[in-house]
Amino acid sequence: MSGLHPSRRRVLAALLAGGSAVLAGCTTSTPAVPERPDPLEAPARRADADAALGNAIAQTHASLAAAARAFAADRTAHATALRAELRRVRPGPAANSAASTSSPPSSPASPAALVPADPDLAGARAALATTVRGAQDEAAGLAITLPGYRAALLASVAACCASHAVVLP
Amino acid sequence: MTQVPLDALQAALATEHAAVWAYGLAGAFLPEALAGQLSQAVAAHQARRDATERALIDAGAVPVQAEPGYVPPDPVTDAASALRLVITVETDAAAAWRSVVGRSPAGPGLRAAALDALTRAAVQATHWRAAAGTTPSTVPFPGAL
Repeated sequence: MSGLHPSRRRVLAALLAGGSAVLAGCTTSTPAVPERPDPLEAPARRADADAALGNAIAQTHASLAAAARAFAADRTAHATALRAELRRVRPGPAANSAASTSSPPSSPASPAALVPADPDLAGARAALATTVRGAQDEAAGLAITLPGYRAALLASVAACCASHAVVLP
Repeated sequence: MTQVPLDALQAALATEHAAVWAYGLAGAFLPEALAGQLSQAVAAHQARRDATERALIDAGAVPVQAEPGYVPPDPVTDAASALRLVITVETDAAAAWRSVVGRSPAGPGLRAAALDALTRAAVQATHWRAAAGTTPSTVPFPGAL
């Protein structure tokens, strides 16, 4: 009787192995190419970095706080939406690594997350304006080239950043 | 097979017709200080309406006509209700043009024009929200329903 357990385990192990092989097959057959970075990873990182910069400026300069905090809030929402789309297309390790914002930023798109706000008001204002326009330009470029739903998402991101640009103090 | 998303473009044109009409109503109630914003918004929607009609004709479609009249969601009786109407107008325009972005082929043609229309609607809505004292005056995803 006790001799049945190992064989059962082996059967289960074989079934599980087969199952994961099937799942792996499904994963590799999705339209996304696993080797190339998803084009939404860069804007997702930029959105995180922009949110960090906006919050840092809001804490440093009272006269910029409302605008910087509103921009940070919208950029946080953008990062969340972009990550949701990344996970939808490529569930698994790639999406996990893209979502780990606490890891040391090694990409050129994310150094702002570690940069404190410029203590000079004019410098901080200029940095915020440059960041807002940079975010708009990146999103607008992707909205022209990406397919369907992603284009619409990036178009909204671009339109949002353009809106912030016209109400900056 | 056509590359032009006719249904989305016709819906956008219908929204532009409604926008031009709504600005005619709301404009009478907006304060003089917003006259510059008003004329800019009206000119933008008239130009967009005309360009959209031409694009539809070029694609072999018959552009939808303006309705004889429209019913605003709330009565327009003063500056505050006029601002609410024009914010609604720009919100509707942003949604219509976002839909065109998502349905048009990638590239600098219609896709870029739709992105520009969405962006201008979002910016104009932000100006109106700021004038109405709405905080924040921006929304994270203009055109998303």
